[in-house]
Parts: sequence; structure tokens; C-alpha cells
Amino acid sequence: MAERQLRCTTAASEHQKTWFAELRRDVFEHRKPYAIVQADMPLELFQVMRVPVVSNQWWGAIVAAKRLAPYYLDRMNEAGYHDGLCRYCSLSLATSLVGDPDQAPWGGLPRPALVAARLTCDCIQRIFSAWGEVFGSEFVALDAPGATDLPPRWWELSRHRWTELFEGHRLDFMVAQFQRLIAALERITGERFDENQLHALMEGVNRQEELFEEVRELICSAPRTPVRMHEQVANVMAAQWVRGSEWAVQHARAFRDEVKARVDEGIAACPGERLRLMWVGAGLWHDTDFYTAFEERFGAVFVWSMYLAFGPDGYIRYGLDDPLKALASRTVSMNEQLHNPPWANEWIVDQALRHHIDAALVLRPLGTRPSATGNLFIERALKKAGIAVLPIYADMVDARGWDPAAMRCTVEGFLEKLSARK
Amino acid sequence: MPDSSAVEQLQERYKDRMGGALGQPMPVAAVTSNTVPWELLRAAGFFPVLLSPPAGPTTHADAYMEDVFDARSRGIFERFLSGEWAFIDTLVIPRTSEQEHKLFLYLREVARQEPERKLPRVLLYNLPHARSAEARIYGLERTRELIEALPPALSGSLEAAIAEGNAARHALRSILDLRSSRLSGAKALPLIGAFYFMDRAEYAALAARAARELAGLPALQGPRLLVKGAALPHPHLHAAIESHGAIVACEDDWWGSRAAGEDIREDIDPLEAIFEKYYLDEPSPRVFPPSAAEAWFLQALSAVDGVVFYIPPEDDVFGWDYPRLRDLLDRRNIPHLLVSADASPATLSAEWHARIDEFVLGIKR
Repeated sequence: MAERQLRCTTAASEHQKTWFAELRRDVFEHRKPYAIVQADMPLELFQVMRVPVVSNQWWGAIVAAKRLAPYYLDRMNEAGYHDGLCRYCSLSLATSLVGDPDQAPWGGLPRPALVAARLTCDCIQRIFSAWGEVFGSEFVALDAPGATDLPPRWWELSRHRWTELFEGHRLDFMVAQFQRLIAALERITGERFDENQLHALMEGVNRQEELFEEVRELICSAPRTPVRMHEQVANVMAAQWVRGSEWAVQHARAFRDEVKARVDEGIAACPGERLRLMWVGAGLWHDTDFYTAFEERFGAVFVWSMYLAFGPDGYIRYGLDDPLKALASRTVSMNEQLHNPPWANEWIVDQALRHHIDAALVLRPLGTRPSATGNLFIERALKKAGIAVLPIYADMVDARGWDPAAMRCTVEGFLEKLSARK
Repeated sequence: MPDSSAVEQLQERYKDRMGGALGQPMPVAAVTSNTVPWELLRAAGFFPVLLSPPAGPTTHADAYMEDVFDARSRGIFERFLSGEWAFIDTLVIPRTSEQEHKLFLYLREVARQEPERKLPRVLLYNLPHARSAEARIYGLERTRELIEALPPALSGSLEAAIAEGNAARHALRSILDLRSSRLSGAKALPLIGAFYFMDRAEYAALAARAARELAGLPALQGPRLLVKGAALPHPHLHAAIESHGAIVACEDDWWGSRAAGEDIREDIDPLEAIFEKYYLDEPSPRVFPPSAAEAWFLQALSAVDGVVFYIPPEDDVFGWDYPRLRDLLDRRNIPHLLVSADASPATLSAEWHARIDEFVLGIKR
């Protein structure tokens, strides 16, 4: 486990453990409903209806960090699911299919009242159908039409001109589907949905993401990065899963304050920082130590990942007269923004330049297709902008094909050349 | 098989897939899947053709496309980038698979970054496949939008295109009917698949003639099998299975038994009728829920002796369904075999032939 330099990081970690223990207690002892959802779902609707959510990707990352992915994925393969199927989106399902709560992190996932996902990749409907079947839970699916009009510099439009950026027909369709999801949540909870509460929550999300934007700017402008990438991720994602809530906004503020104090006091995450690195893609959840492995010898610090940077650009929406439509605009295009041309390549190059990045390590996922696309466009664009690129062939949750020593050696070779040029 | 000019002509069209489009005086509109309404393109004055690239090097595509893309998407991308398909005027890509949406985005991006390339006009047909009230409304609106994006159709041309398409489906069904007794799967697939590459009035005439010519074939003997899994734009797997004495009687595949489906209704608004056909009756990996996606398969089981699942190495979709369907067949005591090798080369390995042989013998016993 990589060193934690920020008090906030410990607080975020403890919050998540406590939250999950409370969730299990509420579900088992008080029969309260909760949901398992895909990460790109409108989590805000669940919050307004007071239905806690476990994100598929968050749970998968926990399982991977506990080094349990090989065990579960092997069991999946033995059950007849071939080893070419996507792993990031299905590892959490594997824990439910295999069962064995003694093995699962924190006692495992209890039965949810519903499972819900956007039908992005063709496998998602199958994974969540299987999940619903395992638990005997309702599956609410939201169809995901493709983006057809993609102005390249989307982040310049997403805050104020989101109605035109995300195409009216896609927003209206998503809102119509939200109504079906809301009806399911009302049925489960016996409560009525209140659009005013959603409006207030959306305002909270804006506050939270504005605080993250301040952190991002601090990282861009500080002579050396004040906070390591893995601590950025821990703090940001703990808040994103409950975004807009009182705790999330408070945590974002505490995070901003702590990072700002470090900058004011001239504290660097790595005092010997000489190379600023960018990690493109989902996290390497089974080997997070990788992100600090090159500091001592090369002064190479991972400064950027999408997790913090995407918050302000991807989530802030001003003009909340129709909060459902604003929420739809946050939901409909996440995959295009992060993983597909032209949005992903244009945005990542812009981020690299703002963060004074020397080199990008681009994850080429071996077993996860949705986030495996767009990478060659991203790599070409980064190189064109003068940023060195090293592709990393790995799976974000599956450690079975990962050789930590060999991969570190590869990166060191790359950094040696980079250091010599600098 | 009799030496029949109609049969041979259909086989030739299946083999030379772009041949019909190349010689056309009409502008060519290409599609990437069965879920783009042929009738809309026809009514707009196009010669519609399905893109089905042969295997080959993909040096142009490899510069932009990651390894995770399937061979078909990569092959299509390659031929546009290489200029081989520069004669295609318009390309309509449906939201029928995630790979197709990405192909749409990749083609747009290459066009944006390299405007000097000659690429077709590319449209995304955002047809949803989930069965919900909202999806139905949305899909109908997108179908209207697609019409508006195409050159204006002459009065009555939509109705005429529906009639032409239905006539072709009718003739195609006469070929499918022969599979119950006389026509092997390997011989049937080319006659069916030609439907996607040629003028449908011509197809209707040729397929009807071919069915008459084939009616005198001797009755086939052997266990009757259903193939289920990844789409098969070639007859190689069928030929391999049938070389061991079985008959591939049907396949849950738009390249085979599900090519025709139902006719498009001619007694309601033509646009709605077209939408209903493509939304509700065309197979797609995104049809949801599973009860809708698997209705045809479950019904077809009653007429076969066994099932061959085909899940090639590049699959990332059907593998999710396999364990559940395998267990369902076990509960019903229906024999099944999983073929997980790539059957696109003309021959499967000796090991796979041995497995198929053992499977067929097991059913015969």
C-alpha cells in the first residue's frame, strides 16, 4: 500500500469502510433497500430517493486491491465464461456468482433491491441481467444511443451550453428513461421523488466539483505536485460516489484546504520531482504501488489521472432550471468523453499541456473493451503535442497476466531515455 | 446439387460481395448490419449494400484501431482508409453494437483530422434495441431523422421499396423451407446471404428460381443441428459440421435462418411499418431483455437434435450468454457442443473435427 501523505486520504478510506458496514447492517438488520449500479449511472437520483448505491467499478477495484481478482476470475472461467470477456465490468458480478462471503471483501455484497445500468457496451446488459438473476433483483436498464455530433473541445461547452453539446434528442430520451428509473425507486422506497431535492443536490455537485477544480489548478500551478495521483483518486472518488451530499462537499473542501496548505508551505509529494507523468485510463487497482515506484530513482511523479480532472469538466452544470435534463447531460456521454475520439484525445492533450506533463503512460486494457478504445488516437495526439508516450498492456483488475517487476523495468527503461533527453 | 444458373448466380453474388455495387449507375449506400432499413435507402435512390470485407491485411486501420476491434469492423475501416471503397457515397452505421458506434466515431475522426482523405458521408442510425416504451418512441423518431438525412424519395417509392423487399423475403423463405428436408446448411448460406448484396427484385426472381431448381434434391439424412453464437458470414463452420454426417438445419443468425423474418406490413404507415420491422424483428446483439433476444432460439429448439455453440476467440458478447444457455439445454437433455476456434478460415483443425465427429456420433447413438 502506497504511503498516505494527506489526512484526508485516511478520512476518505475510513468513511468508505464505515459506510459499507452501515449499508450491510441496514440491509440485513433493517431490510433497507440499496442498489448495485454501473458507475456511469445517474447516482444523484438514488441519493434523492435515499437508496445507497454500490458502484460496480468501485467494488471491482476493492476486490482487485485485496488481490482477490484471480480467485474470482478463475472461478468464472471454470463456470464457462471464457477468458476473453471483459473483466473490469464483471469482476463484481463474479463475487456474487461465486458466492463465498468469507472470501469476499468486507463480507461481500448483500442482495440489492435493484441493479441498474446504462446499456453502453454490448456486454453490460448481459452482466447486469445475470446479476439480477443471481440476487432475484429487478434490473433497470437505460438504453444508450450514440453521440453523433461531437465538437472537439467539449469541456468549453459542457458547463453552460450543455443542452446543445449533448444533443437534445439524446437528453430527452435519457430523461424519459430516468422517469422509469424514478418509478422503480419510488416503488422500492414507498417515497415520492422530489425534483427540488434533486435541484439542491445538483447545486451541491457543482460546489464539490468547483472545489476539485481548485485542487486541479493548484496541481497545475505548483512548482512540484502537492498530492500524488493515487491520493487524488482516493479523495475524489470517495466523494464522487455520494456527490453533492453534505459529506461529499465537506470532504472536497477539506481536501482542497489540505492541498492548498501544502502548496502554501511549499510541500511537494515528491521533493525530488523531475518528471511529471500522466496516467491515461482506469486505475491499476491490483498494483497501486506502481504509481510511486519511479519517484526515488527518477523523480518521476504521477501528477494526473482522469479521476480528479474529469470532475470539474465532466460534472459541473450551470443553469439547473430543468435538473433532470442537466443530470441527463452528465450521464449520456461519459464514455465518449473519456474513451473515444475526438473528445478523449482533445481533452487529454489539453490536460497534459495544462499540467506540464513530460510523459504519458497509456493503459491498453487487455480484458476490458469499453475503455480500450480511443487509445491510439490519444497516443498520436499526445506525441504530436510533444509528450512522450509509453503504452502499458495490462488489465485494471486482473493481476493474472501482470508481472510487476518486468513492468517496472520497462517503465524504467522508458524513463531513462526521457531523463537523458530532458 | 443440379447445375443451376440461378443457384450459381446467387453463389457468385455471395462470393463477389461488392460486385453488384461496383457496376451500379446509382449512388451506393453501404450499411454495416442487418438493422439499417434497406427500404429507406432504396426509396432514396441508392443501391444499398451490406459491407462484409474479406480477410486481409489491415495496415491502414492498425494505425488507429486497437486490437480489441473485431475483424469485421477492422476490415471495413481498412477498406475505407485504403481507398478501396471510395466509390461508396454514403455509409449508414446502426447503433446495433458498440463496435459499430466506435467505427462511426473513428471514421468521423479520421475525416476531421485528415480532410484530404476521400471518405463517404457517414450517418449513425441510432436504433435502440431495448424493448421499452421510450426506446420505441426514440427509435421511430430516429428513423424519421434518417429519412430526412437522405435524398428525398419520390412519391410512392417507399411503398414500392417495401413491396420489393417483401418479395425478396418471400423468395428467401422458399429457400429456408428447403432446409427442413433437402438443402444443407453449407449450401443454403450463400443462397441466403446473397440477399444482402444485390438488387432485391433480382434476388427475388433468382431465389424463387433457385428454390424450384433445388426442390428435386434427395432428402438429407442425419442429426439436425442448430448453430447459435457469433454471426457467420461464411459457410465454413457449417461445412465442417456437415462433413461429419449432420445437417445444420438452422442458425440463430441474420446471415442464415433469420435473414428474412416477417414481411414489412403494407397496411399501415410505411415509415412506422419499416421501423417496427427493424426494431422488433431483426436480430442484434443489443436486443434486450433476454426473453426477447432468445425467443427465436427457444422456439427453434423443438425442431433440432442438438446445438452447436460458436464462440470464436474475438467474441466479447455471446460468451456471457453461453453458460446460461448451456445449462438450459442440459436441463432439457439437448446435446450441445461448444466450438471456440475461429471458423473463418476454410478449415478447422483436426482436433476440432474430431470433437465435432464425436458429438455427431453421440447424437446418432
